Parts: sequence; C-alpha cells; structure tokens
Amino acid sequence: MSEADPMRLNGRAIPGEPAPGQCLRTYLRENGAFGVKKGCDAGDCGACTVHVDGAPVHSCLYPAARAAGREVTTIEGLSGADGALAPMQQRFLDAQGFQCGFCTAGMIMTAAALDDEQMADLPRALKGNLCRCTGYRAVGDAICGIRHVEPAPAGDTVGRAVGAPAGPAVVTGSARYTLDIDVPGLLHMAVARSPHAHARIVSVDDSAALAVPGVRLVLTHLDAPKRHFSTARHEDWRDDPQDTLILDDVMRFVGQRAAAVVADSQGAAEAGARALAIEYAVLPAVIDPELAMVPGAPVIHPKDPATRISDPDRNIAAQVHGHLGDIEAGFAEATVIHEARYRAQRLQHAALETHCAIGWMDDGVLTVRSSTQTPFLTRRGLSEALGIPVERVRVLCERVGGGFGGKQEMLTEDLVALAVLRLGEPVKLELTREEQFVATTTRHPMVIDVRMGARADGTLSAMQLTVLSNTGAYGNHAGGVLFHGCGESIGVYRCANKKVDGHAVYTNTVPAGAFRGYGLSQVIFAVESAMDELARGLGLDPIEFRLRNVVRPGDPMVSTTDELDDVVYGSYGLDQCLNAVRTALGNRAADTAEAPDGWLVGAGTALAMIDTVPPNGHRGEARVSLAADGRFLLEIGTAEFGNGTTTVHAQLASTALGAAVGDIRIAQSDTTLVGHDTGAYGSTGTVVAGAATLQAATALRGTVEAAAAKLYGGPARLVEGVVLCDDRRIELSRLYADAAEAGIALSETGSNDGTPRSISFNVHGFRVAVDPATGEIRILRSVQAADAGRVMNPLQLRGQVEGGIAQAIGAALYEEVRLDDAGSVITRTFRGYHVPTFADIPPTDVFFAETHDSVGPLGAKSMSEAPFNPVPAALANAVRDATGVRFTRLPLARDAVWRGLAAAGVPDSQDRSLTPQDSTGEATQ
Amino acid sequence: MIPPQFDYVRATSVEHALELLAEHGDDAKLLAGGHSLLPMMKIRLANPAVLIDIARIPDLSYVRDEGGTLAIGALTKHAMVASDPLVALNAPLLAHSAAQVGDPQIRNRGTIGGSLVHGDPAADLPMAVVALGVTLVVVGPSGRREVPVEDFFEGYFQTAVGEDELLVEIRVPSRPGVGWGYQKFVRRANDWAIVGVAAVGAGADAQVALGNMGNKALRASATEAALAAGASIADAAALADEGTEPQADMHADAEFRRHLVKVLTRRALESAAS
Repeated sequence: MSEADPMRLNGRAIPGEPAPGQCLRTYLRENGAFGVKKGCDAGDCGACTVHVDGAPVHSCLYPAARAAGREVTTIEGLSGADGALAPMQQRFLDAQGFQCGFCTAGMIMTAAALDDEQMADLPRALKGNLCRCTGYRAVGDAICGIRHVEPAPAGDTVGRAVGAPAGPAVVTGSARYTLDIDVPGLLHMAVARSPHAHARIVSVDDSAALAVPGVRLVLTHLDAPKRHFSTARHEDWRDDPQDTLILDDVMRFVGQRAAAVVADSQGAAEAGARALAIEYAVLPAVIDPELAMVPGAPVIHPKDPATRISDPDRNIAAQVHGHLGDIEAGFAEATVIHEARYRAQRLQHAALETHCAIGWMDDGVLTVRSSTQTPFLTRRGLSEALGIPVERVRVLCERVGGGFGGKQEMLTEDLVALAVLRLGEPVKLELTREEQFVATTTRHPMVIDVRMGARADGTLSAMQLTVLSNTGAYGNHAGGVLFHGCGESIGVYRCANKKVDGHAVYTNTVPAGAFRGYGLSQVIFAVESAMDELARGLGLDPIEFRLRNVVRPGDPMVSTTDELDDVVYGSYGLDQCLNAVRTALGNRAADTAEAPDGWLVGAGTALAMIDTVPPNGHRGEARVSLAADGRFLLEIGTAEFGNGTTTVHAQLASTALGAAVGDIRIAQSDTTLVGHDTGAYGSTGTVVAGAATLQAATALRGTVEAAAAKLYGGPARLVEGVVLCDDRRIELSRLYADAAEAGIALSETGSNDGTPRSISFNVHGFRVAVDPATGEIRILRSVQAADAGRVMNPLQLRGQVEGGIAQAIGAALYEEVRLDDAGSVITRTFRGYHVPTFADIPPTDVFFAETHDSVGPLGAKSMSEAPFNPVPAALANAVRDATGVRFTRLPLARDAVWRGLAAAGVPDSQDRSLTPQDSTGEATQ
Repeated sequence: MIPPQFDYVRATSVEHALELLAEHGDDAKLLAGGHSLLPMMKIRLANPAVLIDIARIPDLSYVRDEGGTLAIGALTKHAMVASDPLVALNAPLLAHSAAQVGDPQIRNRGTIGGSLVHGDPAADLPMAVVALGVTLVVVGPSGRREVPVEDFFEGYFQTAVGEDELLVEIRVPSRPGVGWGYQKFVRRANDWAIVGVAAVGAGADAQVALGNMGNKALRASATEAALAAGASIADAAALADEGTEPQADMHADAEFRRHLVKVLTRRALESAAS
C-alpha cells in the first residue's frame, strides 16, 4: 500500500503497509478497529463484516493489500463524528437486537447497507451473519425499526423492558471483549495438536521451530507441572475427576495439546508449531463408548483412586445407580409399556467468540484476562494447576462473546499462564474456529435406554433409565451431567417405581463438558418421547397424560433417591405452561407457515423441569457502594456472556435503592472485586448472584438512611436519588462527602449460597409438515411457555427463551459434531457444522406463567439453559404425529427422516400437484 | 488462521495479467473476489507465492446483449448478475442462481468468472451454466479461444483454463421467456447444495444439469433423452441419476443423493414446464 494510494479507515488515511498475506480483518484491528470481530476467519459467520467503498464484505477474506485506495468503514465509523448513533445502531439499541453482542457489529454493518428489496427479504439478506444467542427475532425487529425498550422510572425498574447497560457500547463497537485491548509487547501462542487418538509422546524436536524467526519459546510436557486437575470449573472440585495436565505426554484424543509455541507474531507462532517434529508411539484407541467398558479395552486413564475416577480399569469416569419402589412390580401393573433406545448426539456450543485469553505479570501477580463464565473458579484452577498461591493470581473478563456452558472450563488460561510465568511477558492464545471444533468441549453424546409403563387409568407405574454417556478423553463434568440428566427429567413425574443406571465412559474422543441443559436435553429427548408413546398407547392426549402425572406442590420430586434435598416448590407454573401450549397449538389460524400439498402434518409437545440452582453449593457475592458523584457502584463477581443478567442486576439494585438504572454503575467479573463468587453456570445469574446484589443493595439503603439520619438528624428516606430528611433534600454526592469526612462507610456486601433451590418449567409445542419425498421438516408453528417466576425483564427473558429454542432447533434438525472411525472430528468449520441462520428459525410465540417464587430474588426464577431442553423431543413428537414414525436418534436430519419413512412404508406422494414454492423455481430450503 | 505469506501484485490489463502469469508460472494464482481462494489458502490447500489481483482490470465487468447471445464479463460480480435486467430477461435461471451464491457480502465481492474457474461441483453457477449451454472465452499466450461448457469442467476444482490463461467472458444463449427450474437441496439456508438441479426449457428442448452428483456439474443425459423421446416428466426424472457418481460425505451418502436427484429433477422440470 503506497503513501500515494493509502487505505482510508473511517475517513482517516492509514499510513504504512500490511504484512504480506495479511487479511483486512487483522489489519483493521491492528489499526484500532476492535469492533471488527473474528468468529470463523473463513467467510462463514459475518462477525468481521465491514464496508469497502460502501459495500459490506467479509474482511477475513479480503487481502489487506487490495484495500489500497479504498474507503473502509467499520462499526466505529458508522456513528457520526459527534458520536451520534447511525440509524441502524439506534434501531439495534431500541429493539435490543443482541445478547452477547459479539456478532452485532457485523450484523449492523450488513443491515446498514440493505436496500429496500433486501429489507423485504431478511432471511436471504442476512444469510452471511450468524448469531448464536438471539434466535434472530430480536435482530429482525431491530432492522425493521420495532422499538421494545421502555422507560423505567427510578426505583421502579423490575419487570420492565430495560435495555442492557452495555447496549450503547455494543452497537457502537466500543464494547471490549477479551482480546479487544492493545497490550504492548504482546506475544502470540499457537498449539501443536495430536494427530492420534491415543499415543505417547516419545520426543519433541523443537530445533526447527526455534529457528523460525520470531519464535521465543516452545512448551512441552516436560515444562508443565505434574499436577492433575479438571478443566471443569465447579464450586466443589470433588465434582470432577482430576485427570488433566496442562501438557501431558499421553495423547488421548485427536486434537489434544501436544506442545505450544510462543512467538512475536501469530504467523510465526503458527509456523513454529508446524515446524515441531513430534515423535509418537501410537497406542490402541477406543472410540465407541460401549466397547470402552468391555474388559480388555485400552485403559485411557490408568490412575489411582485419589483422582476420583470412578472405575479407571473399565474406563468409567462416573456412574449413578438408584431406585425407588419396585420397578418390576411397576411394569407388572402397566397396561402399556414403551421400551426403546434413544440417542442424543454430540453438539458444539459454537459461541461466536472462540476460547481465548491474554496473560501478563502485574507487580508479581499473574493476571489473566479470559473469555470465561467463572473468573474465580478459573483463578482457583490456575492456582492448583500451577502450584502458586491463589492470592498471586487474578482472573478477569470483560464482555464475553457467548458461553452456553463451554466457558465453564479452563481450556486456554492454564497454557497462557505457564508461558507468562516462563517469559514474564504478556502472552495471548486465541483458538481458531477449527480448534474450537476439534479441541474444545462438546455436549455429552448419550445412549438412553428407556423403559416406561403406565396403567389404564393414565398414571405412570414404572420409569427406568439406563444411560451411557460418552465423556470423551477427559472426565470434566462427566458425573454432574450424568446425574443431572437423570434427575429432573424423571423427577417431574409422580411415579412410585423408578430405576436409574448410568455410566459416563471415557473414550479416545474430543472431551465432552458442560452444555446448556447439562444432561437434561439428552435424557428429556428420551423420556418425553416415551411419554408421548405411552399416551398414544393409552389413547390419551399427550398433554392430558402429562397433566395427570406431573408432580404438584407437596409431591416429592425424586428420581434416584428419596433422600430429602434442598429443592422446594418456591412456585409452580407447570400446569399453566401445559395449558398455554395446548391452547396455542389448538389455534390453527395462528400458524406461521403453510404445509405444502402432499406433506404430512402433525403436532407434538414436550415438557422440561430444571432446578433453579445446581446442587453442592453456589455462591454469589456483590458489593454496592455510594460513589462520590452520588451514583452507585455495583461490583459483582459473576460473569455476563449474553444472558442479560447484568441488566437484571442493575434493575434489582435500582429497585432496592430507589435509583434510576442509569445511576447504577457496574463493575464485574474480576477476582479483585469481591471475595468469592462461583460464577455464571447452572442459570444462577439472577437467582444466586442477583440475590446477592439485592441483599447488598437493600442493606446499603439502610446504611445510607442511617448515615443521613445521623449526619443531618431526623428520620431519613432514600427516594429517587436523594435523601429526604424531614423536609430537607440531601443530594447523595453531599452525603458521600459528609459521610467520608465522618468516617462512615457507605458500602455493603451481599451474598447468597444457592440454597434452598426452586424449580422452573418449560413446555414446547410444534406443528410441523414433513416432505415424505425428501425428509424435509418445516415448522408451521412453534410455541413455548416458560415458568420463570416473576419476570424481571420481559424483553431479555423472551430473548433468552428464543435463543435457547433456536439453538435447540439446530440440535434437533442438523447440528452434529461428527467423528471419523479414527476418532477425528470431521465437522471442523461452519460449512460442516451447521448453525441455524436467520432463514432457518421460525417465529416462536413465547408465554410466561404468572408465578412468584418464594426462593428467588423478588419472585424470580432461572431461565437460561432451560428453554433448550424440551425442544428436540417436542419436534420428534410432532414428526411422530405427522408420519406415524418414531424417530429415536438426533438429529432428525433429512436423510435420516427420509430413510425412516421409507423403511416404515410411508408413501412418497410423487404425484402431488405443484406447490406455490415449487412453481416459482424457488430454492428448497 | 494466518494464510501463508504471499506477494501481491495488481494487474492493470488482461495482457498484464498474462505477462505476470508467464513470469511467475506455477507459483501464481489469480485473485478475483478471493472468496474461494483465500479460505483454501488459510487451510493450506492452496499455497501460491504470488497473488495476481485482477479485480481492477477495467472492462471485464459487463453484461451486453449481442443479439441472440448475452456476453458477460468474467469479473462481473454475483450481485450484478443477479440484478441485471438483461440477464433477468434473457437468462432468468442465471439471475436466480447468482442470487443463491453465498450471502450478500460474498455476492458483493465474488465474480462469475472466479466461481466458474474454481470448479466446485456443489456450487450454484456451474450447474446453471451447464444447463444454459454457455460458451466460455479464455485468453492465453496463444490468443483467444472459445470453450463449450461441456468441455470446460474437468473434475473437482479442475477446469479447461490453463495455468497461463485467463477466463474473460461467458457467452450465454439468450432464451427470453423460456421456462426454468432450479432446485437446491440443503440442510440449512446458507449451504452448498447437497444435490442441485437446474433445468431450462420443456419437453424435447429441455436441458437439465445436476450439481454435486459427481466431480463436476453434469448434464442429465438419460433424462433429456427420455424427454426427447416423449417420456413424461415423472418417468424422465426417474432416470436422473443414470451415469452419475455421487460421493458420500458428511452431508449425505450416495444413496440419498441418487434418490434426491430424481425428486429434484422432477420438481425442476415441473417448474420449467409451468
């Protein structure tokens, strides 16, 4: 790029030249345009969309050199010079057309360039921009200029559609995600990964790697402490087997870290990693979980019991066994028995921000800035894995670009920390999208044998589950997911005889881990399919059958043991949810699509229950302080990754303090802020962390009023941002100054230990049409009713529900991490692993039950993971209704459906007349 | 993922591009929109040392009516092909298929010539141009030659364009008012075809092309022959997989593809006949 012909970035000429081979995306970020994001680096996701001479392009596929003489506009340049929002930015703010916001800059850049014709056909116009959080309804509303945010009077903000505090930063591209900081002297890391499913590293020759210009360090297993840990982050470390090293000499899956290279540039680090000569001794591998338990199978973790592996010799990471009543007596009583084997597949979270971390030393403190859901537990993990005191470690995150459970793991921070401790210089590791597919955690694939029986009177007599969960090469979350999956899925039903046997088994495959629903989505697919079959066998409406069998307040909620735990009926809206879905599906006029001629039509439903907090303790901690400017500072430990909990925290604090939402400044997700906070998993952002915030804010109100009474005399009341003492109005900034002088602290801490726990419910209904000629499923109607207790923020809650449904529709129809026979992941890009686009997601009518929880803050319950859980089963039940064929394996891919229908002899209506869609020559979607 | 380092040169004319190709030989690749080449470079399926940027060569982006033939410059972007009124009138199948390529960002950069030279059998444009019976104009050191489309695609990512040559124009027979059908079977809206079918005309005049049923876009010869002999659409479509060699991959196995191509051929022919 010559000086005579420079690229212009947001109106400013950029001097200098890009590196040979550099793409525009990284060049723009080097020049400060951090709003340009990496989601895939391959032109599949749109997060890096910018305008070149006014036209949107994927900047990752645009050689920087070819931008010479062009005008490049990024999200930062879309606003006016005075900072005024561009119209499309304002629309995204007004509709809250985002959640984590990582895709938003690219989405806005695409949307801002749409012409009228494209605006009228958003499903096609937005093909190039993926969003994993919203389910696209909010995006569509934003682009169409529909306003959802409502004003919230000071002190009266809970229950209102308040916008996210970070909204203005998200729509202008100034929101800072993990890697959006300029760190002088930053070094870059690349990882060499195992090509073998099971092998021992014999040697690593790093001479060629170290000869690559710019390479500074090679790390191998010889450099890593021999301290086993789990990548899973849990409040109680005993939840997971301690089976992982930062760098191991045994490779247990294709894609495992074999060595790492640190260099001055990303290109040099990658070249160094390619130049490593690693000699492996290949070991026998076991890919199939059923074979892994057979005596004589290769033992993947020959470790001692102190690692808390359940049965290392049989590759069993964890197991659960339990029974209630007499299962065989229950089957003897049954009029109808359904028995089948169900399979739920391996899924990727596909958060648009890949796992990444930057570490540096700060005055002797190892500091790691990470894309994590659990900063405090990651600090603890680093301390344990590296053997350094927890006080010498700080972990923080700023905005996190999606999590879905995938960031309840420590997958980058440990390696970065090891390099930082060695070099004393700042180091970055950013996983590529391919590494994300090959080497980060997935949903646990499960094989679920279900046997259930019901009596002629429509009551359940026996429920039996035999579950085989494939935890992959490491046992992170193996036990928790298995236990949880077999918990609420059958605990929601009143049945005297239950039996569960489950094993989580090691295989030489990519490790599974925490995934939205935490085991429930897999097991619910099986149980809710079986409930549908039993209802059919009895000739009952499936919803009526469920209404007869679901637990009601007072019933024990039991699955594998009748020992009492701390789950209570804080509120109960399951009956409301079931009835709402029944009513909605009964109204054919409300269908959002029509069935083409010759397609088979049917409807199906499924329900899901979830405890509002995980077991074994979950701590939330928050501090609220009056600041010098008369506003409040809310410091919270938990993380926000797009689920909207920060907004709810601001609403809770403002309500308790009688303040405007805008007067609550929030700092969060940093281990220096509060004592200890478990973090954001198990849908705890509102019910645990929010309870801590509410407690702190309520206490501060008392403290402020007491301080004012003491300083100014008379009874004091905090109202709408001022203190009223008799007839005097005391500004809070004055109170702050006077209190400081008097040595009175105006700061309070709140905490919550996550017990007792309550329960939330989701019921989903679909009407579908199925093309018997091709196996295509078209959703004609989608409805979900959710019992989230008192709704804190209807806009954000709806978004959370819609996003869960969208992710689950992908899981039900086509998403699958696929492996070859050697255990290597073959779906390594968004072209192979399909994430739904705007065009793929139908609208869903969302209903909220009217309940008020006695456990959660101000009546709220959790609603983060749960909307996902009933969706695949509801879809399978609708297809069953339409076609008469029971599909027991996810996903319901078109080829599988076609084959299933053909095998069942469902006629393929070859002779049907043309449909409108066919006759226009429109592409089949 | 950082692509391998490459040198970047910008060609100012077709002649200049040919000189640069001659100079750099096998080390060079032509860069048009870059939306097929750069992803391959990032995963190192392509490692050119030199990229010759031809995007700014003037006069290779056009649609002209040459009386019975539409002449389309190789650097014409998909967005322009999709919206050009001459294309809509004379080759509506081409306009429709160009609108199916990728997403708007890709259609703003990607070119018709780049997509055809890339030679992906699952892509939209190859099956469209096979159905339309186009002629491709290629220039090289020995001058200009015209290649009928049946000789153009040679296999996976292989075309008749030599390493020292450049595709400059696509010549499309104008058939205003002719019926057409286009069926693209995908799992998800933004995907390459698992199987695609493009059809132009009806009865004995029908021309049918199949996408992703082998290592290149194919004519459905048995179906066309049956139609010419007077067979019904349903009977002719049932022959659509004859002579094809569909692969099995992560998206579908060969059996499903063979089934689909019959269903989609029938639907495409029904569209073209209506």
